[in-house]
Amino acid sequence: MNDQITQIRAVGQSHPRREAREKVTGRIEYIHNLRLPNMLYGKIFRSTVAHARIVSIDTSEAAACPGVDMVLTGEDIRKIMPDPHFGVMFHDQPVLALDKVRYVGEPVAIVLASDPNVAAEAVALIDVDYDELEPVFDEMEALSAETFVHDELKPGIPEIQFLKGVRDTNVGFPYQLRHGGDVDKAFEEADRVFEHTFRTHPSAHVPLEPPVTVAEPTGAGLTLHTANQSPSFVRYEISRLLGWPQHKIRVRVPYLGGGFGAKLWIRLEALVAAAALLAKRPVKVSLSMEEQFYTITKHGATLKIKSGLDKDGRITARKCEVFWNGGAYADIGPAVAFHAGMTAAGPYDIENVAIDSFSMYTNRPVAGAMRGFGHPQLIWAYENHTDMMAHELGIDPLEFRRRNILREGKEHATGTALNTSSVEKVLDRVAERLQWGKPFERGEGTVKRGRGFAIGIKASIAPSTSEAIVRLGADGSATLMCSSVDMGQGSDTAHAQIVAEVLNMPVEMVHVVHPDTDVTPYDTGTLGSRSLYHMGHAARLAAEDAKAKLEELAAEVGAQPGSNVPIWELFARKNGMPVGHVVGTASFIPDGHIPPDPMTGQSPHITPYWMLGATGAEVEIDTETGRVTVLRMINVADTGTQINPKIVDHQISGASIMQLGQTMQEKVHFDFGQVTNASFADYKIPSMLDIPQIETSVLDGAEADGPFGAKGVGETGSFCVSSAIANAVFDAVGVRVSEMPITGETVYRAMRAAAGEPLEEE
Amino acid sequence: MNAFELALPDTLAGAVSLLDPEDPTIRVMSGGTALMLMMKTDVFHPTQLISLRRIEPGYSQMGLLPDGSFRIGAMSTLSDMEHDDALAGFAPVIRQTMKLLSNVRVRNVATVGGALAHGDPHMDLPPVLVALDAQVVTISPEGERTIPVAELHAGYYETILSGNELIKEVIIPPQHARRASYLKCTTRAVKDWPALGVALTTDLDGDTARDTRLVIGAVGEKPIRVAEAEAVIDGQILSDKTIAEAADAAAESVETIEDELGSAAYKTQLVRVYVKRALQQVANQNA
Amino acid sequence: MKDVMTQTIDFTLNGKAVSAEIQGHWTLVDLLQQGFDLYGARQSCGQGLCGCCTVVLNGKPVSGCLFLAALADGATIETIENNEETLDPVQEAFIEAGAFQCGFCTPGFVLMTRQLIAEIPEPSEEEIRLYLTGNLCRCGTYPQIIEAVQKAAARMRAA
Ligand SMILES: Cc1cc2nc3c(=O)[nH]c(=O)nc-3n(C[C@H](O)[C@H](O)[C@H](O)COP(=O)(O)OP(=O)(O)OC[C@H]3O[C@@H](n4cnc5c(N)ncnc54)[C@H](O)[C@@H]3O)c2cc1C
Ligand code: FES
Ligand code: FES
Repeated sequence: MNDQITQIRAVGQSHPRREAREKVTGRIEYIHNLRLPNMLYGKIFRSTVAHARIVSIDTSEAAACPGVDMVLTGEDIRKIMPDPHFGVMFHDQPVLALDKVRYVGEPVAIVLASDPNVAAEAVALIDVDYDELEPVFDEMEALSAETFVHDELKPGIPEIQFLKGVRDTNVGFPYQLRHGGDVDKAFEEADRVFEHTFRTHPSAHVPLEPPVTVAEPTGAGLTLHTANQSPSFVRYEISRLLGWPQHKIRVRVPYLGGGFGAKLWIRLEALVAAAALLAKRPVKVSLSMEEQFYTITKHGATLKIKSGLDKDGRITARKCEVFWNGGAYADIGPAVAFHAGMTAAGPYDIENVAIDSFSMYTNRPVAGAMRGFGHPQLIWAYENHTDMMAHELGIDPLEFRRRNILREGKEHATGTALNTSSVEKVLDRVAERLQWGKPFERGEGTVKRGRGFAIGIKASIAPSTSEAIVRLGADGSATLMCSSVDMGQGSDTAHAQIVAEVLNMPVEMVHVVHPDTDVTPYDTGTLGSRSLYHMGHAARLAAEDAKAKLEELAAEVGAQPGSNVPIWELFARKNGMPVGHVVGTASFIPDGHIPPDPMTGQSPHITPYWMLGATGAEVEIDTETGRVTVLRMINVADTGTQINPKIVDHQISGASIMQLGQTMQEKVHFDFGQVTNASFADYKIPSMLDIPQIETSVLDGAEADGPFGAKGVGETGSFCVSSAIANAVFDAVGVRVSEMPITGETVYRAMRAAAGEPLEEE
Repeated sequence: MNAFELALPDTLAGAVSLLDPEDPTIRVMSGGTALMLMMKTDVFHPTQLISLRRIEPGYSQMGLLPDGSFRIGAMSTLSDMEHDDALAGFAPVIRQTMKLLSNVRVRNVATVGGALAHGDPHMDLPPVLVALDAQVVTISPEGERTIPVAELHAGYYETILSGNELIKEVIIPPQHARRASYLKCTTRAVKDWPALGVALTTDLDGDTARDTRLVIGAVGEKPIRVAEAEAVIDGQILSDKTIAEAADAAAESVETIEDELGSAAYKTQLVRVYVKRALQQVANQNA
Repeated sequence: MKDVMTQTIDFTLNGKAVSAEIQGHWTLVDLLQQGFDLYGARQSCGQGLCGCCTVVLNGKPVSGCLFLAALADGATIETIENNEETLDPVQEAFIEAGAFQCGFCTPGFVLMTRQLIAEIPEPSEEEIRLYLTGNLCRCGTYPQIIEAVQKAAARMRAA
């Protein structure tokens, strides 16, 4: 090491993804491709009713089908998992339904066969007798309904044990925040008060590789090959369900064909593990595109937001009530209610804030984390609200925000002082890029044009842990072992760059081992834009540890500090041959996190870092049909140092395209709990024809405590797209849409209503 | 998908002989794009599929006939039609229609016979062929017959073809100087099945319209000719006023159905706007 | 349910004459995966809409998920695996432009791009969007794909 004269710059370079070649040649490893000898294929039989007691399940005909190996129901699962309920927060989700079903599409049984086609055909022969119960679908109805999705709350993690045994409620988790003084009094004293309600719809992650898991019984244990974003949690949870020590369970994850939150926590793993152990053979379950829609969705929500303002247009009070439609099982929903709830008042400096955020149980498919973790929904509400108030007050929306944004050093509603000036910077930047205030071509004839923007804030998930191991070999190459999952966001490449930077070696000399819980250490999960910060630090520290150990080795074998004895020789002197390793390890948890007070949500240190984003949009509207075409979209993000500028840029534009789809086109439709558009034929994600010109603009400057000044960027591009477009639509035609997707019909109806000639309702 | 038998006859007549009018689980497959979708979603469970891939090559060909009409063999793919220069010269509207119909891969496989026999109302080609006054020639054990495409569709996924009758070819009559336009309107994404298709052909003699064929696809159970609007147009100069009146007449007379692509009332508005735009386009085309 | 029916088909796969025993309901994707361990064509939407399953059949790209394997008897099939040793200008341009994230859609885009450039050597952005609209990328790499196509086309024209 010591002979290096020049420092190799690995960080800050746009290295191509390390697996690029395998991706363009189609040879990359996904679990999708995995076939093991003697493997069975599982096909899931799903509930056709939304809420019912199961009277009986008749699997005899399916089991008798030639080629069918086994048919399993919830009772069979109990044979190896005494309490077969899983969940990252609540232990409320059965591996297969037990006595009750709670949504259409819930897994009730599974058929195992050597031929997937046989399994699929046999599933059609299963017959279940249900005693139907009153279902509840809407999050607001769930609040007052007489029907309860669960008889009793079943908290899993320690922090929510206070909910243990709570009965007769559909509120899975209530989050609350109280900041400043008496909010009601502040409203009384306010000069103007505005109150608006927004709704967002459930949408679907639909990574192009649907969830897929293979479980393989091994001599003493079980290996799970799975497309999952949180391998460490999978091992923890499967060991808990089976009552086995964790070392008997190995979870390995190669590349993912997309994740976006769809592959977090337990998806198929518990079911496939149980099936493989019962069948004593490897079992694979690959969901179809259709089944994805029954497996995980993004929360729809009802968001009520009320602001009081003084005479100068300063917001003095804000009240937010958010109701998240979490579906039948909690999954990570309570954390979405909590985490997004925290920032429901937005990046604004408001003295008196009250926030209540509820995760609701309903008889719908489970809602979980999706890119942005609830924030795109919230920002949709508060940034529409902001523009609506500005308009009512006759203040320019930019000026109105400038009066109210949270500046560096000011206290956020959570009680944590803002350690960044990024709020004003993203606002200034988006205004500049839009040339706000300058004349704008507004269209002619039946075509109207408008522009709008929005800003948003998100805190990082805290606290969470990342561990890493860096092994430095006698040949001077390094191996990074960590459990971050590369699902397309480029973490392997970025983490390798960090290790290369510390060890001052070319990036190609760093190998990254994919998550394999037999060798890669613990990580909370690849979610919430946390990996680059947390695992980035862990990788950096592990590399530094390895470097220090190499220096110790050098001293031990008599090399002078600063001498240019090559690495191989150091090892040769020690081991007689140029072989061996030094191993650096690290465990990273950000310093200083102080859990918020459960009653007020206040904490002087609630997050290791903030993420700020802004989006500007220019739209064109065909006023005869209401059709909105987004012409231009500018996404501004504070990313800290860009470890790999190209990947950062593509993360931001990719996130914004995903959110554009959810804004303009995507919505999961239900008919009595049944998804009616569970396919790409009817659920339209954006194609190349649906996207505008997209520009990315990144703020300069490092994140104070980030690894090399970096932090996460995977979600920032999604924050503000929806509200920026809604604000632009208003600017163009003067109507406000309060629901997405912003289809031509929605806008046309709003325009007709505004003109006093409403279009006939169905 | 369930298990089925696959037959690959060498002739179209051979295919006909394998069909059984009493048994709807025996079907011919041309490109298979529509059938495979139905089989994969468990909507259709065949016992036997009769692939037309091996039938006489003439059914995959197209060209001008001596009488000046244009023949397209039933097995011609949509991309064959898109790329055929003679057809583009004969009826340019077809090539324009193809660009936004489905996608390259589906067009490479889907056939004109399948596109007409499928009977899904949310399709682009049927209204265009109705506007072009095309006919299909069919073959069955009873022999051949000629059916105007305008009469082919009976309702939602229904045609008037009998269970052992197959489309042999499509004949488009000479278009002379007729002008044509097809406007596709989608509501969920730019590329989608049509929520509305407006196909229009007309003779503009000087500025006066004659023999107008205005066909609305996708908003109802099958493509519909709008006589009320045609009556407004024929004999008139395509002025803004005539166009607006025709658009209103179309909106008033065409019955629209609510579905996942839009409400009935909204579709009525779309009919009005797109009929107007199609007429404007035709009026502005260079003769 | 009927017994599983198998049959043998002969065809040319990436330049080699091959034969395979197949089941009647198999699609081209099943054929390539189960018969030849080729996973570059992969099923995602299963409906002809996403292009992840693209294969080139008799010189034309088709959706493998909608095409019965039995009908490939006698055909010529090219897959993304057809140039193992060296990358072609399209693949190189995809890497340079960073035109993928998770990579699940990538083989389909690469195959379609080859075809697009063969048909339209100098495609405009509009032509690229139209031609590739039947391929979906959930990671949203469309801007980079457009850039990659333009790069590849320019390079191939120059060559
Ligand atoms: C992804 C996708 C997107 C699409 N988008 C569009 C779109 O935007 N616009 C649009 O118009 N269409 C669209 N389609 C529909 C497409 O046009 C049809 O699937 C196609 O035209 C059917 O042709 P085929 O040859 O594949 O028919 P097949 O699937 O082979 O057959 C369809 C039906 O016709 C019958 N049939 C086939 N040939 C004959 C014959 N010669 N005589 C009598 N009966 C016959 C079959 O028995 C079957 O009932 C789309 C399809 C897909 C898969
Ligand atoms: S899987 Fe075949 S097109 Fe999507
Ligand atoms: S790169 Fe992930 S779907 Fe395209």
